[in-house]
Amino acid sequence: MRYLQGRFVASALTAVSIALGVGLVIASVLLTRGVKQSFVDGTTDYNLIVGAKGSPTQLVLNVVFRMDTATPNILYRTYGYVRDDARVDVAVPVAMGDAFQGVRYVATTPAYFAAFPWRRKTFAIAAGRFFRDDVPDHPAYEAVLGADAARRTGLRVGDRFYEGEEMAEYPLTVAGILRSTGSADDQAIFFSLPSYWAMNEVARKMQIKPLTAVLIRAKRMSDLPSLHREYNVSAETQAVFPSAVLLQIFNLLTLAEDVLAMILAIVAIVVALYLFVSMYSATLERKREIATMRALGARRGTILAIVLLESVAITFLGAVLGLGVGHGIAYVGSMLLASRGGPIVNPFAVGALQPVVFGSVVIIGALAGLLPACLAYRTEVAANLAPLS
Amino acid sequence: MRADVLLHGVKKSFPLRDRESLTVLDIERLELPLGTWTVVKGRSGSGKTTLLNLIAGISTPTEGTITVHGAEIFALPEPQRDRFRARHVGYVFQAFNLLSAFSALENVMLAMTFADAIPRRDQRRRAADILSRLGLGARLSHKPQHLSRGEQQRVAIARALANDPPVILADEPCASLDARTAHDVLAEFLAVCREDGKTLLMVSHDEVALGDADRVVDMRDVNRAARQRW
Repeated sequence: MRYLQGRFVASALTAVSIALGVGLVIASVLLTRGVKQSFVDGTTDYNLIVGAKGSPTQLVLNVVFRMDTATPNILYRTYGYVRDDARVDVAVPVAMGDAFQGVRYVATTPAYFAAFPWRRKTFAIAAGRFFRDDVPDHPAYEAVLGADAARRTGLRVGDRFYEGEEMAEYPLTVAGILRSTGSADDQAIFFSLPSYWAMNEVARKMQIKPLTAVLIRAKRMSDLPSLHREYNVSAETQAVFPSAVLLQIFNLLTLAEDVLAMILAIVAIVVALYLFVSMYSATLERKREIATMRALGARRGTILAIVLLESVAITFLGAVLGLGVGHGIAYVGSMLLASRGGPIVNPFAVGALQPVVFGSVVIIGALAGLLPACLAYRTEVAANLAPLS
Repeated sequence: MRADVLLHGVKKSFPLRDRESLTVLDIERLELPLGTWTVVKGRSGSGKTTLLNLIAGISTPTEGTITVHGAEIFALPEPQRDRFRARHVGYVFQAFNLLSAFSALENVMLAMTFADAIPRRDQRRRAADILSRLGLGARLSHKPQHLSRGEQQRVAIARALANDPPVILADEPCASLDARTAHDVLAEFLAVCREDGKTLLMVSHDEVALGDADRVVDMRDVNRAARQRW
């Protein structure tokens, strides 16, 4: 360590470079894995989504993950057809509305929160209660907030809120706040369809009320192809398998991951080269000191070990710092994603990643120090002890 | 008197181009009796430093044998020769060669670490004692760059004495100091060597050193290669 202090600035800069490289690797992997995991965690338990004709990806991203813009509306009667279809077990209508302080409005029925035997996701109330199942003539204007939505807006049970002067006539009252589900539902404000239709100027004037989509759970899996086909054949609607869209998203993410892996590999090579050059030039600079130590009785093996240990110590410090930097970058990235309605990512996820990256970096450090260590090992003693002119 | 250092038929040549070589040292026999002082003088390039490096075992002779304190040093495997040098030979360099990252105390302790002859728990106290003996008791924690040149050379002398070696080699130890400082440092150095009964081989042209020496060796007299060149 004392030997490291001898070139504190150079050693510190090298450790910082390693830390930045390690941080970049940790943050990139945490964010990409987190995004992927959030898609897996946030996926719907419903088999089929029926919405307006358009992009299937847009429909799934918007209805399930609250991303992208809403697809055009479908008519409420579509929900009626689906609900009455003998092949359908459960049908839930949803309408994607505007937003309050960036938190998306989702109008639906209490069935959205129901605990069906086939559902993995469970909704529980942390405070208050679910909104009332009202009717179009008497909208209750009651809202239930997702856990993150409540945190972000600071709203509590009983608070009244609206966004924009034109909505002042239709303030919503917080009826309840949900426990966290670890999905995009944490970042939504839920209320009833009648409240939504009453609040929406266009919907108020429509005889047949609009919806964004209907979530469908079929009674039998074997009925899914026919349901899918029928609602796709219709001129107004499309039916989408969320799992198929998720697969497409995963394929895109895998492509991005491959590109990222290449970039990270280049970063690792650059950092290893920087460490090598730093150690190599340090060894050249210290030939006199190395020769002095040899003259004092240090064995060649001792000198080799000193240079190797120095290289490993620098990478160890850089790797420790890099773990912190990586989680810090991932935290900032996850906040940015969350603030833009993106997937929820855990920036402090700990697994095999950290020890693998840490171990690899220390091994790379030892390898980068090997040649300079050999150079130090071979240092000619007498030639390097000559008085300086 | 028994020889503490003995060179016999020692040649040192450096290879040149076209398979030629330059012989810089050719000594038929040179003895340094135990506990005596020998001062070597000679022109620049006469092989003085090469002679010291050979006795220290940091440069390998092309021919001949060198015996130091009873051991034929080049018959030893290199790791053992390194250990032998650490324990039996103290070397004071003209350019001090102190390690800048280490304090005066640590520079002295470093020599003890490599020799591994003094118990670790005693190293700090012993290093402090030697430095105090050379007037550096108040400068133990100072880094070389915060010491005067005279003080730096005293640290280098303390380092050479760290493992209480029987043989001390000094290569113009005061050549880079001003006359007054050189005189003071040399006087202290010689006093310590005399008190401790060291076998001293010193390259110097200083009148004090030449006057106090048991023997003065002119490289022209012992080095045939130097005689042939001049």
